[in-house]
Amino acid sequence: MEFGLAALASQLVVGLSRAMILFIVCAGLSFVLGVLRVPNVAHGSLYMIGAFSAYGIAMRLFGGSSAGFWLALILAPFVVALVSLIAERALFCHLYEREHLMLLLFTFALMLIFGDLVKIIWGAEYRSVSPPALLRGSVSMFGASIPRYNLFLLIIGPLVAIGLWLFTNKTKIGKISRAAAVDREMVSVIGINVSWVFAAAFVIGCYLAGLGGALVAPTVSVTLGMDHTIIIEAFLIVTIGGLGNMWGALVGSLIFGVTHSFGVLLWPQFAIVFPYAAVVIVLFLRPRGLLKSVW
Amino acid sequence: MFRGIIDLKSLWPIAAIFIVLLILPPILPRFYTYILALIFVTSLLAMSLNLVLGHGMIFQFHHGVFYGVGAYTAALMLAKSSLPMWVGFVAGPLMAAVVGLIIGWFCVRLTRLYFGMLQISLGSLIWAIVFRWYSFTGGDDGIHGIPMPPLISSLNNAYYFILIILVICLVALYLILKSPFGSTLEAIRDNPQRCEAVGVNVRRHQLMAIVISTFFAGIAGVLFVVLERSVFPDLLFWVLSLEIFIMCLLGGWFTFAGPILGAAIMVALRTFIGIFTEYWTLILGVILILLIFFLPEGVMGYFLEGFKPHAKEVAERRGE
Amino acid sequence: MSNGSGLREIKNKINQGGEIIVKRTFIIIGVVVVVVIAAVLFYYFAIPPKIERNIKVGVIDCYTGPAAMFCKEALNGFELALNEINKEGVLGSKIEFTTRDTKFKVDIGLSMARELVMRENVDILVGTISSGIALAVSDYCKGEKVPLLVWISKSERITGEKGHRYVFSTGENTAMFGKAGGVALAEKPFIKYWIAGDDYEYGHAIADAAWRNLKQRKPEIEKIGESWWKIGEPDLVPYITAILAAKPDAVIFCTGGASMVNVMKTAKATGMSEKVQGWIPTATETAILRALGPEAPEGMMGTSDYLFYHPDTPANREFVKAFKDAYGKHPGFSGFHGYITAHFIAEAFRKAGALDREKLIDALEGLKIDSPAGEVEMRACDHQVVLPIFMGVTKKVPEYDFHISTDIITLTGDDVMPTCEEIMKARGK
Repeated sequence: MEFGLAALASQLVVGLSRAMILFIVCAGLSFVLGVLRVPNVAHGSLYMIGAFSAYGIAMRLFGGSSAGFWLALILAPFVVALVSLIAERALFCHLYEREHLMLLLFTFALMLIFGDLVKIIWGAEYRSVSPPALLRGSVSMFGASIPRYNLFLLIIGPLVAIGLWLFTNKTKIGKISRAAAVDREMVSVIGINVSWVFAAAFVIGCYLAGLGGALVAPTVSVTLGMDHTIIIEAFLIVTIGGLGNMWGALVGSLIFGVTHSFGVLLWPQFAIVFPYAAVVIVLFLRPRGLLKSVW
Repeated sequence: MFRGIIDLKSLWPIAAIFIVLLILPPILPRFYTYILALIFVTSLLAMSLNLVLGHGMIFQFHHGVFYGVGAYTAALMLAKSSLPMWVGFVAGPLMAAVVGLIIGWFCVRLTRLYFGMLQISLGSLIWAIVFRWYSFTGGDDGIHGIPMPPLISSLNNAYYFILIILVICLVALYLILKSPFGSTLEAIRDNPQRCEAVGVNVRRHQLMAIVISTFFAGIAGVLFVVLERSVFPDLLFWVLSLEIFIMCLLGGWFTFAGPILGAAIMVALRTFIGIFTEYWTLILGVILILLIFFLPEGVMGYFLEGFKPHAKEVAERRGE
Repeated sequence: MSNGSGLREIKNKINQGGEIIVKRTFIIIGVVVVVVIAAVLFYYFAIPPKIERNIKVGVIDCYTGPAAMFCKEALNGFELALNEINKEGVLGSKIEFTTRDTKFKVDIGLSMARELVMRENVDILVGTISSGIALAVSDYCKGEKVPLLVWISKSERITGEKGHRYVFSTGENTAMFGKAGGVALAEKPFIKYWIAGDDYEYGHAIADAAWRNLKQRKPEIEKIGESWWKIGEPDLVPYITAILAAKPDAVIFCTGGASMVNVMKTAKATGMSEKVQGWIPTATETAILRALGPEAPEGMMGTSDYLFYHPDTPANREFVKAFKDAYGKHPGFSGFHGYITAHFIAEAFRKAGALDREKLIDALEGLKIDSPAGEVEMRACDHQVVLPIFMGVTKKVPEYDFHISTDIITLTGDDVMPTCEEIMKARGK
């Protein structure tokens, strides 16, 4: 098959916009992995809660108005952050002394519980969130039509990346959590309450999951089972990027998003194996991920 | 050669359990016979994972693939070829071990989570093949109604067959762990650098452990076919692998028999909570959290600590 | 990992215990096994068997994950019908049901089916949305001689190639949908087609059936490409833009469930629905259009075997009103399937005159009942229900806050079903 430059360019834009969502979710996962050293299996569930909360705020409280969408985009991640704060302070913080695999077991249990809680609260119906009037429809670029919402994601993604950079490099808590990722004994020795550093890191990671969920809501059907679809992909991305490295998550997401959208153009029959094949190739070439890992 | 490996005094409770399990099927309702057989199959699967996880500290994240490969190989041989039945039964575990060798060969160069994620990716490629190759594997619908030799076709006979194979496999696993190979594996788990320094080929030992473990997973897969007479791609999906992993953690992954208990708990909870409520995953999650909080070393680990004279001492060390 | 050393010490302690530990281990297993056995025996002997009893139906379906919506609605329809039926009773008793969640996993579905048959002693099994589970349970039911009525799963293999005496289908299947699509698209002027869909049996089966039927009627058509995405793929924009780049005249989408919502949403967001004609088997299905609300594209061709506003008959209006009063929403196809399944069971028991599985099957074969969509028949040769299929185009209307299907063409069951000869050939008889 032959494709013009237009098709390639439009696939690039679309792939990059998908990468932005993946980056936001995976940065959160990677942050928790780096600081707490816990593979948070419940991360996907928090992403799902973010999407459902966005639905609840935008469609139920504000009846699908544009203002409702923007408010949902701000509030839904905080709902997720609150949920994660409660789970962390009530249960998780008592387990930090335990073997890491037991923490994995704990997040697995959380995933089971969140999955059913979402069903109890929002029911099993498929939900859909309307984008605001400004972002509806598509624009013509390079002779292909690209949804406006995807262009919006291209703006949001870098903003989040800059925000994360400022947070980890310029704020005190960000610096402490980076230090805790490298050497937690040292951090506790100099008199910092590591438990609260962990809590902050966990909540920030989950906030990002919620933000990803809220951002993805207008482009997909918000349903039960969203958690399962995202979580494995998120772990693969975090791995190829380098465990615990947020910029690795960015690199991994870009690889995933862009190879996927070009792959779909060139070999649409094999879309199902792309993510796995990408990980296999990267790990063959660089067994510890692309960027420096904290593990 | 078994001197010091098997303590004769500790044999009688095992024998008693075995005899109880032998006389159960005629008096149990059929459904409970089935559930017990399912627990046996799942136990063997969890035990095979624990050989590398608990005793080798290898993050075998996609163990389900080998289970599935064993099951599919046996199923395809039984359903589509005219070879004698037992060929399929032998081919299942062998095929699983071959796949284990190939995937393991790629993975042992990596450690911990990287190992696990590479394995998930490679395993998922196999899953994708099974899922998509409609003409050969039946695609996502799977293969159902696989013919069984008349000797093990009834539920009770299948139960006995599974039980006997399970016992043989458990003895084999126990002997492997008590052999020099098993000790080396545990030594590598505890300090890979030192093992390397004294001349142990760490990678080769780990690969060997993976091959043995996948072979037993393949046996579990064949037993699954004997019991359910169906195969489907869910057997190779990462969700099942995660569940097996959880069984090992739950039962107590650094005890020998912990995974059996973990598997029994998971299968029993899943079946019997499902009878009472639609929200059984919620209840399962809550129970898991309670277990994590109150039985920190896994269920089996808790009992062992209770028995041990120096339990307090260990608890104090943990508290540090 | 930093605290690995603490753990290592514990392990060493345990290893020092050596054989004692192993011995203890087995004692504990012994205790657990004995306790479990005692509990089971107690449970078994403490509850006396019932003599006079109701008809028991076991429902296995998926109440977790994306498919839960359809399954819950099917159960609603089933319950609604049973409430009507139990007012007058069947053979002097009532029909009761109990449900089990399969989580969309075949192994759990099989366990649950066994549990219902062996422990709950149900007379009939009903379910499920997953064709993998339906086929696995169907095979189990064949061995146990328990009737299984499949109500949502659309695989044509259930009553086709893999059909047998004990399995029935009360819903339409991929062969019927595919043929309906092929018949309808052959009328249109399109030449260049693209086929896209969920990469699993359902998607491929519909694509094959639609393409076979279309090609038969209109040999000059041309397939310029295919794309298949994994089930639950969240982002379909790259696929749609890739399809648009190839400039087909029409696209056949073979998707189900949550993907439907994604496809329709993406088709609208990329402006595809205005440029290229799309046909999706269940695009006009109420549950999908309701979920999309104003986000649904207009002018998408779709197929459904039940619409709550068509045909506008008293029977249909009555059913819709009862359903809406009870569950607060309009019934979609799965609610309708649940409803007729209950009526099939009740009528068959009345006709059989006894609580007997074999007689029930004989009675079900060729049974005709009145349904909200007109008379439906359980075809005797393959146990597949014969019902009409409605082709239409999505359109925004003022009456509802979601789109509905307009310009409806009704295809009768005989138009779209494979003949009995074809079925018998597929079964290899």
